Amino acid sequence: MKAQIVSALKRRRHGPVLTASKLLLASYILVAIAAPLIAPQNPYDPLQIYGWEASSPPGTRGSGGYLYLLGTDGLGRDIVSTILYGLRISLVVSIVSSALAALIGLTAGVSAAYFGKWVDIAIMRLVDLQLSLPTILIALIAIVTLGPGIDRIILALIIAQWATYARIARGVALSEANKPYMDAARLMRLPTSRIIFRHLLPNSIAPAVTLIPIEVGHAVALEATLSFLGLGVPIDKPSLGSAVANGFQYLLTGQYWISLFPGLALFGLIASINLVGEDVRRSLDPRNHSL
Amino acid sequence: MTVEHVTAPLLRVQNLGLRHVSGSATTPILSDVSFELGRGEILGIIGESGAGKSTVGNAILGLLSPEFQQTSGTIEFNGKAIDGMTADERQTLRGRRISAIFQDHTASLDPLMSVGAQVEETCLTLDSSLSKREARARAIDLLARVGIPEPERRYRNYPHQFSGGQRQRVVIAIALAGSPDIIIADEPTSALDATVQKQVLELLKILVDETGVSIILVTHDMGVISEITNRVLVMRKGQVVEADRTATILDQPRHDYTKKLLAAVPRLRIPTRTVKAEDDGGQAGSSAIDGDQNPLLVAEGLSKQFAPQGFAWGIGRGKPRFGLRDVGIRLPRGSITGIVGESGSGKTTFGRILAGLDTAPTGRITIGEHAFNVSRSGRRSGLLGRVQMIFQDPSVSLNPRMTIGETLDESIRFGGRTGSSKEPADLAAMMDRLGLPRSLLARHPHQLSGGQKQRVCIARALLARPEIIVADEPTSALDVSVQAEIVGLLKDTIAERAMTMVFISHDLAIVQAMCSSVFIFKDGRIEDFGPTEFIFSRSDNPYTRALINARPQRFTC
Amino acid sequence: MPLISVVLGRLSQAFLLLIAMSLIGFIGVHSVGNPVFNVVNIETATPEDIHAATIALGLDQPIWRQYLAFIGNVVSGNFGTSYIYHLPAFELVMSKLPATLELASIAMLIAAPLGTGLGLLAGRRSGTLFDRTMVKASVSALSIPSFWLAMMLILVGAILTGWFPSGGRGLTASFLGQEWSFLTGNGLWHMVLPALALAIPNIALIARLSRSGTIEVENLDFTRFCRAKGLSSRRILLRHTLPNISVPIVTIIGLQFGGMLAFAVVVETIFSWPGVGKLLIDSIQLLDRPVVMATLTFIAVAFVALNALVDLFYAVLDPRVRLSS
Repeated sequence: MKAQIVSALKRRRHGPVLTASKLLLASYILVAIAAPLIAPQNPYDPLQIYGWEASSPPGTRGSGGYLYLLGTDGLGRDIVSTILYGLRISLVVSIVSSALAALIGLTAGVSAAYFGKWVDIAIMRLVDLQLSLPTILIALIAIVTLGPGIDRIILALIIAQWATYARIARGVALSEANKPYMDAARLMRLPTSRIIFRHLLPNSIAPAVTLIPIEVGHAVALEATLSFLGLGVPIDKPSLGSAVANGFQYLLTGQYWISLFPGLALFGLIASINLVGEDVRRSLDPRNHSL
Repeated sequence: MTVEHVTAPLLRVQNLGLRHVSGSATTPILSDVSFELGRGEILGIIGESGAGKSTVGNAILGLLSPEFQQTSGTIEFNGKAIDGMTADERQTLRGRRISAIFQDHTASLDPLMSVGAQVEETCLTLDSSLSKREARARAIDLLARVGIPEPERRYRNYPHQFSGGQRQRVVIAIALAGSPDIIIADEPTSALDATVQKQVLELLKILVDETGVSIILVTHDMGVISEITNRVLVMRKGQVVEADRTATILDQPRHDYTKKLLAAVPRLRIPTRTVKAEDDGGQAGSSAIDGDQNPLLVAEGLSKQFAPQGFAWGIGRGKPRFGLRDVGIRLPRGSITGIVGESGSGKTTFGRILAGLDTAPTGRITIGEHAFNVSRSGRRSGLLGRVQMIFQDPSVSLNPRMTIGETLDESIRFGGRTGSSKEPADLAAMMDRLGLPRSLLARHPHQLSGGQKQRVCIARALLARPEIIVADEPTSALDVSVQAEIVGLLKDTIAERAMTMVFISHDLAIVQAMCSSVFIFKDGRIEDFGPTEFIFSRSDNPYTRALINARPQRFTC
Repeated sequence: MPLISVVLGRLSQAFLLLIAMSLIGFIGVHSVGNPVFNVVNIETATPEDIHAATIALGLDQPIWRQYLAFIGNVVSGNFGTSYIYHLPAFELVMSKLPATLELASIAMLIAAPLGTGLGLLAGRRSGTLFDRTMVKASVSALSIPSFWLAMMLILVGAILTGWFPSGGRGLTASFLGQEWSFLTGNGLWHMVLPALALAIPNIALIARLSRSGTIEVENLDFTRFCRAKGLSSRRILLRHTLPNISVPIVTIIGLQFGGMLAFAVVVETIFSWPGVGKLLIDSIQLLDRPVVMATLTFIAVAFVALNALVDLFYAVLDPRVRLSS
């Protein structure tokens, strides 16, 4: 699987936009990991923040001695540092929730396909119901029921996303289960566990796994939207979305930088994940291998 | 070659060369293709996939996509070069002078427009002097001419409400709408069942006689060529290897490739009809249990109905599925029994029930002394594992993520438990017997050719040492030349091991070569059965006769 | 597939949804303290008052009876009274509906033709510069979080240029007993930015879909056959390609219209547009639980109803569905 992804990525000749987005995504991840080392300020530490320097425009030199490259927000936090730390939260929340949603969804989907009957009906009724509603609505219902907090928002994102994986995994598993090689495996009277783990699963998960990058992009946007609406991560530890939200009230008075720059960072993140994710999905699509 | 037509030919293709350009890669497609087509002539173009035969048709129609570039030659229609014409000029030719029929009758028609409207639309476009009412009348007339019953009533029906053969007739009606001089027919019958194929070819012949239209018939099927063409072009890798009158090509092929193509066509032998002997089987009936006093397998009263799928959000698109009605069969020990039927006859369903992969609500299967309850799943009833199968398409019959060695090892380790023989299977000997190099063991299926994959599937089935093997169309996904090898290998290995086999096929000639007795399935019932010799020489069943007659005369002896 | 089973499927889905929402709502009500104190004042209430209120609210009944009563209320649209506005919650939602409806409708009127047209053009010229630009632009447009898009529209369209108002509904006129902004010039002016914020991602989505649909249909044999039988490319586009891609496009338009009702939550909040979405967010922040439940349930059920309409329309458009026995 891994070798397949690597070779698929290598094989594709791609344009400048895709190369740029791969570089961008790589630097986002590096920067997020290294945030405490490279951020001029720790925006979570009240001792490093100077309230009287709130809403300074970009380029202001602060009393801490360093330059506020992109200005400060309404609480006096350096925007660059807010973005770096916010990036960490956004990425962790979305990657963790997508990975867990994939795990849960895959298991549910393959189980539905293999066991059939009432297991299938129960799982797929729920999946159909969820997928007939917009994800944002599911996330809203979940977060209203669960309450605020980072763990809650991860849970809400899992609830909003697992159904997509379940549907795809079930569809693939069903079509695989009807292929002659599965019939041949049954004719050998293989143990059920061997049929599932040796034959069905390895051939069913690939299409669902290729969804993960794109779903991470969705999760980033969803988390940001919930945080923007004040339903996401708490304001003292802002994600990119809540950083944008913090700046909204200042936007109308012309202090555009507080929301513009975190927003740009967010847009770049989602766009690069989408472009790279789309590319991964396309290059792993078996229909492209025959060409 | 004798030149019969004195006037200029209707169509003359001279030294046509084409290449495909994609990015920086250039692939030659056609080189130096030349031929002429006279009025009222049916010219066949035959070749295997990749021969460039369809490209010739598209080049004449002017329907090549921009990646195709003409490198040499000319195409002349009525003495006028048409390959240099503008797109608009080509468009006025299409339909009026040169029109087409494609292979896939389902995809050729717009699913959202009624059949009548599609014919009428063509009439109106091609003859702007027609009023709406006249166009309608002409459309009905056309539908009647291609043999659509009750054309007035069926006018408003949509494509999906017609059978495959009827859809292809509608396509022919549309191709005729502009009274063209030439029809390019690209594999017009390949998607149809044998009996329907015969009828459509007859229709084309009648239309040529009535209207004087010329046809270029592109196909891979020697049978089709032998049935209706006057002259043939044999193509291989973009070149014409041989061109001559059809009779000459069939009787005295000069080029090795043509000889190879002809040799690969399975031939049906019809022994001369002797005076009818005593009634030794062969009555049309639902159940067929007779003969052998000590059969290995007895299936009785198998019935299965497929309910239409309903109540779900997946709308429509339920494929028509066919069941079985009271089917019974007896397999003598060590015999090869053929099951023949067209699509939807229930032959595959029957094979799957025998193997325990599908259930049937009623009926019983007995193997030796064991009776199995077929209404329970194969694993529960114990039937599963008694019978091994060889499937139609080897490319999906092997787990793509397991090596050949792993697949075969699984068969030895797990399959042998229910097998007849207690001695361990010999993998190496099996590989040698089937002509598979040992180096394949470490490979994955996608690294093998189609023929190799099917050999691996045979090895897998044999290594499990079952008493019975069901082979479901094991050659129809393979190239013609490979088919013969696989059939021979199957027949020999089964005989060596004294195994019992059920051979499911739509091809009478292969069944005749393989099997000692034959069952003919139609609409889920057994229509006819008997010893192979009886079925092919003396059966009076009209359906059996129709199936045999649908075979090209040329390849029946 | 008979039509009736499609309709039955959707109905059962709507019913399932109501049950799910009622369960969520019931747990919600009971998890945040004694609902009695929503009705009586904690500081001044006597034990008698509390007892009376408990009985009035049915809280003395066993839990399953309470739940049954709750389900009955949800199914009949009775979600209780708003703690803030002291109006029946469902009525409150309905009074905010026209504002949301007109905003979503205008946005769709912009998005549907523009998206379809762009997609058709790009699909017919697939591989050209226009096509590649369109694809990249649509990926970008779909990557912009809707709230940030809305804020940037305000920044550019209202704050920097001053062309459009940054929020509010503007003047309204009365029609069918409701107030509508689209009937006055000023109201329409107020709708431009929020409608654009809703429309832009949908233009991208619809364009993408109609592009891939066009490419798919143009590669089908029947378009090739249409050319072989002598039809002009114009006629093929209008009479064959367009009807064939319209099936998925109509589906996505229907679904996205429902999606707009949900995304109105974001856009309405930013533009202070007094619709259902803003009501929802305000109510969540004010802990006005009956209104939250009523709004969420309404949006969800409206969405399932839209899905049902799309299914029916789909059946009307496609004879394979309409005429299958």
